[in-house]
Amino acid sequence: MLKFIGIALTIALSIISCHSLPIPSNYTSSQVVNIKLSGWGASPSEQKLLKQVLQNFETQHPNIQVKYEEISDQYMDVMKTRLIGEAAPDVFYLDALEAPFLMSQGVLEPLEQYITPEFDSSDFEVKLLESFKYKNQIYGFPKDYSTLALFYNKKAFALENLSNPPATWDELRTYSQQLTIERQQDGRISQYGFGEIPELARQVYKIKAFGGQVVDDQGYAAFASEAALKGLQLVIDQYQKDRSSVQKSDVGTNSASEMFGQGKVAMTIEGNWAIPFLNDSFPNLEFATAELPRINDVKGTMVFTVAYVMNKQAKHKAEAWQLISYLTGKEGMEKWTGTGFALPSRKSIAQKLGYNQDILRSALVAGVDYATTWQVGKYPAEIMNNFDNQFISVMLGQQPLKQAMERSQAVANKQIKAME
Amino acid sequence: MIQHGGFVVFEVRRRRQTKKNITEDLAGYLFMTPTILVMGTFVVLPILYAVYLSLHKVKLLGGIEYDFIGFRNFTRLVDDERVWIALWNTVQYVIIVVPTQTILALILAVTLNSGIRGRNWWRILYFLPTVTSSAVLALIFMWIYNTDGLLNDFLTFLGLPTYNWLGDPQVALKGIMLMNIWSTAPFYMVIYLAALQDIPQTLYEAAELDGANNWQKFIYVTVPLLKPVTFFVIAMGIIGTFQLFDQSYIFSRGTGGPNNSTLTVVLLIYQAVFRNLQIGYASAIAFLLAFLIITISLIQRRFLGSDKPYS
Repeated sequence: MLKFIGIALTIALSIISCHSLPIPSNYTSSQVVNIKLSGWGASPSEQKLLKQVLQNFETQHPNIQVKYEEISDQYMDVMKTRLIGEAAPDVFYLDALEAPFLMSQGVLEPLEQYITPEFDSSDFEVKLLESFKYKNQIYGFPKDYSTLALFYNKKAFALENLSNPPATWDELRTYSQQLTIERQQDGRISQYGFGEIPELARQVYKIKAFGGQVVDDQGYAAFASEAALKGLQLVIDQYQKDRSSVQKSDVGTNSASEMFGQGKVAMTIEGNWAIPFLNDSFPNLEFATAELPRINDVKGTMVFTVAYVMNKQAKHKAEAWQLISYLTGKEGMEKWTGTGFALPSRKSIAQKLGYNQDILRSALVAGVDYATTWQVGKYPAEIMNNFDNQFISVMLGQQPLKQAMERSQAVANKQIKAME
Repeated sequence: MIQHGGFVVFEVRRRRQTKKNITEDLAGYLFMTPTILVMGTFVVLPILYAVYLSLHKVKLLGGIEYDFIGFRNFTRLVDDERVWIALWNTVQYVIIVVPTQTILALILAVTLNSGIRGRNWWRILYFLPTVTSSAVLALIFMWIYNTDGLLNDFLTFLGLPTYNWLGDPQVALKGIMLMNIWSTAPFYMVIYLAALQDIPQTLYEAAELDGANNWQKFIYVTVPLLKPVTFFVIAMGIIGTFQLFDQSYIFSRGTGGPNNSTLTVVLLIYQAVFRNLQIGYASAIAFLLAFLIITISLIQRRFLGSDKPYS
């Protein structure tokens, strides 16, 4: 018995020690450095594009090998756990929403020191770069972005003799009523005017339009102010009183683009990601985009952006920077955004690729100037979850808006206080 | 989904300390060493560590720091609205699911035991949902529960009202209940079936001689004789349902929505650890759950306890 255990232990130990020994092949070919890169899953064609860009990088930098690892679900949960376990990749995607927390925790490498003049950091859209600054340090460079635009079904518009997209939110509501149609006389509405996503990420510009804000200067929730409620009331009124808008689950779909693509709604508000999706999945759909209708005579939209950041624990920081500076540099970004999956965060590339002239994308590009960055302080999960939870119950008519928002604001702030 | 646990009964007997007994004891412990080591590393140590964690505020990112805060994690529990919502959801879930699945399991087992033709086939058919992974089941049911899905089509066909099963806070948890009853009841049915076959035929014959009809035989012979099994089924059911996690995680994509209606205690623990990185607070919630399950198991032991029928 003991002998057996002894043998088993020896085998186990030898396996473990072999594993931690450096693999000799690594050292033979003139010091090739491995850089680990992680991102979340995207469509297969987007994944293929990224592989191509990385291959280009590797041919230009033969001493660096990039190991790409996709995290398909619950990206931030996984990433935080890996950062704690010191098993995080050297370079990874970071959404602007999650940036304030990670930047404040000191797990990211400040990038200021690596910037060379030829990298030309002033070329980035200022608003996008701002999202990754904390205490006068830059922690990430945005790889791309998207704003929100109004997507409308041209056929549905033509059938109702509507020639122009709505320019104001009031117009959007009258259009929606006109476009809400019961085709078969069976009491079931076959097309709604507008597809609503009642998530905070899609509502901030409405709150801002009346002078409200989501979080205050201290990072506490502040979305229950009179001004904020005015903006949110628009959504509720349309859903409950006009009955001309639907949520994605009301019509059995998983996203706004899906309900739009299936023709269940004639208008919806989506970002750049919807364009390749709609072209792929619904090739016969005739649609167009427009800037979001003005609310309270204020132009507004959201901007979502993602950056490449460097792990503070990265072993080969110089090489990791090489990767970041290629991917967010002029050459890499042109390749990455050239096929239209995402919009370039560099002004020079945007000009070169001509997206401001593109029929479908010009509305998205125009939005970046007046857009609100999707960022809600250091504790986005608390603010978002509490808002979304209560806002849905308001949509369903289970409680009045004011009461729900005050409650969720109070709960969110209590949770934030407990975390600080 | 189902927590299989073993009850280990240690029989401690006081003996006189003779030399022979000491060597015997040593030999005994030697045989138990592997188990003690494994259990110690993976069960006892984590529990002790959880106690330690629950008394600290732990900073995880950027260098781990422990900050002793006494019982503040526990006092925070009382204040946290979401803990109470999660508890209420979980309790609701237990109260509905455990009796339903137990009764359903018993009915299925009795019908199968009554000599239906092709009993083995029925048994396999009933048992299939239990074999399927709960994650896969949840995904399949998300299709079924879709507003344009199978269940709503079926309800319209019958002329009944339809629901937005995944999006309406009023019914979201019920949807998970329905799915879980359907998938776990057969597991307990198999246990009941085994127990039913152990009941001596002579008892039924004796009851028949006394003039009992089928219903009376079921109520006065079968049910009491199944009591020890029922205890096991209910205990396991309660433990399993209190630990509901994967289904509500998949249904709500980890948020516990819509409007916290599918938030369960274990999901809350998960969120506290992996989303908010508050491992100390999460340990406190875990102790609350453990305390609850232990209390309920003890109470239940009182009522259903003893192993002997007719006690």
